[in-house]
Amino acid sequence: MMKEQIIEILEDIQPEADYETCQTLIDDHILTSLDVLSLVAELEDEFDVTIPTVEIIPSNFNSVDAIAAMVERLQEEG
Amino acid sequence: MKSYVAPLYLLVFLPAVVFLYNIVPKKLRPVVLLLASYLFFWSISGKLILFLLISTFSIHHFGLWLSSLQEERNRILAETERPKRKAVKAEYIRRQRWVIFLAVCIHIGTLLVLKYTAFFGQNLNSLLALAGVDWTWKIPKMVMPIGISFYTMQAMSYILDVYRETLKPDKNIGRLALYMAFFPSMMEGPICRYNDDAVSLWEGRRSSVQNLVFGAERILYGVMKKMVIADRLNIMIKTLYSGYADYDGGMMVVAAIAYTCQLYMEFSGTMDVVIGSAELFGIVLPENFKRPFFSKSISEFWTRWHITLGTWFRDYIFYPISMSKPMKRLTSKARKKIGNHFGPLIAGSIALFVVWLFNGLWHGAGWHYICFGMYHFVLIASANAVEPYTKKLLEKLHIRREEGGYKCFRIVRTALLVCIGELIFRAGSLRIAMRMLKKMFTDFNFRSFTDGTLLNLGMDKYDFLIVAVSVLIVLVISIANEREICIRQKLAEKKVVVRWAVVYGLILFCIIFGAYGMNYTPVDPIYAGF
Repeated sequence: MMKEQIIEILEDIQPEADYETCQTLIDDHILTSLDVLSLVAELEDEFDVTIPTVEIIPSNFNSVDAIAAMVERLQEEG
Repeated sequence: MKSYVAPLYLLVFLPAVVFLYNIVPKKLRPVVLLLASYLFFWSISGKLILFLLISTFSIHHFGLWLSSLQEERNRILAETERPKRKAVKAEYIRRQRWVIFLAVCIHIGTLLVLKYTAFFGQNLNSLLALAGVDWTWKIPKMVMPIGISFYTMQAMSYILDVYRETLKPDKNIGRLALYMAFFPSMMEGPICRYNDDAVSLWEGRRSSVQNLVFGAERILYGVMKKMVIADRLNIMIKTLYSGYADYDGGMMVVAAIAYTCQLYMEFSGTMDVVIGSAELFGIVLPENFKRPFFSKSISEFWTRWHITLGTWFRDYIFYPISMSKPMKRLTSKARKKIGNHFGPLIAGSIALFVVWLFNGLWHGAGWHYICFGMYHFVLIASANAVEPYTKKLLEKLHIRREEGGYKCFRIVRTALLVCIGELIFRAGSLRIAMRMLKKMFTDFNFRSFTDGTLLNLGMDKYDFLIVAVSVLIVLVISIANEREICIRQKLAEKKVVVRWAVVYGLILFCIIFGAYGMNYTPVDPIYAGF
């Protein structure tokens, strides 16, 4: 469910990617730093989490799975 | 020892430290490095070493202070019910922010006072004169310890990482002291990060034969860039920039290109010497250059040039500003109103503006440095803004970005834009920079290339030929590196005779073609002044 929501947000920000399979969203420059700014703002609104600056690293944004894992972890940490 | 290519450093100090490092027991090796670093610092800045020592003690203390607050918070959190935890966290964030505020005041404050008092004073006096006030502030003369801009940034990254809890503060003050003062990187960087470099610095690993060979080869390559190219171009560059009024726009183009070449060869050459020096001790420092002149855009250029400064600004200025609560709210609202592209562009551009303002000021206290920063801000921000339109236009014209002619065009265009930026950077003031740029665009002609002017700037045909051949050597090595071919590894696989022939060849090349002696003035370490 969370992954579907994340894909929806991503498709709204940058429609030209296959988010189901892509594992290199940052490494291959599919998401730019400006896309990441949008994504963070949307994730915070959607999932009621605060994403601190230290989480802005490629490994947290390279795939939908990685993004979902980061959001889940931040939700648990409260 | 005013520079890393000084004979005293390369032929006496460095070999002596390497020798001593390898003969003492493992436990004492980091101590040898620390004492050598302080000796190196002392030899350049004398008693100003006190600034470095105070900075080290202070940042060590602040780290432990933050850590004790974090431990206290964790103890309280463990005993607190979930709904009340948010308030505890908020209280401890507030307390930690006070510690960070104090640390920033002391460290950045010292840097600001020492580096910018004169600039501030001159502008204040100009404003007072403009307002008709009959009083001037007698600007106190400040002294700057060598490398203060570099070790202050390392201290800041250390304390901010402790605050963010991505780094445990070090109780061992010796390790922190070596991280702050390590002599190869102290004067011109690269700007190290505690998490990546402090442990290997303190490890005291014995130098292997490969470390010594690879380190020496890298140093030699750096010396070649600095002595044969950067120093040889120096007289011509000094002549053109000090007497710009006597030359036409064509010579201004030469000034821009020659200085960009000199700066790259001087700074990247010094980085080769620095990284090679560290390699002699088995220490891997972060790279500061990755063939910047293969960049296809200005933003890519800054991910390949002075990399550690760029990543510092990204991690401690760009993201903290663009990801701050008000900016996130701005991004969210703007996206809904003006769309996916322009929405995040506002917050991104505000953060980018601050980054480039600080980048300009970091390089020096002068309006032309601020202008240099703003020039890059405008180039990057406008490229971001027009990106969707560029994309559409290229699609319509059936041009692929990463292919053939268009890729070459992008590389050349980026290099030319960089040259203009470096002209602003090198000019003595903003007024001179503007005059030189004006000449470039309004008084350009090829006459001075053919009437003998070019060969009357302190470089004859022989000098130009040496520079051209040397640049070609650097270009070939850069192309190989770009294709991920490690020349030193390839060389190591060759027969001993070939290896020594190449090394001796390079040494002879530096001795024969290096620009030293009575007719030359070697360029001062440019980045040590920042």
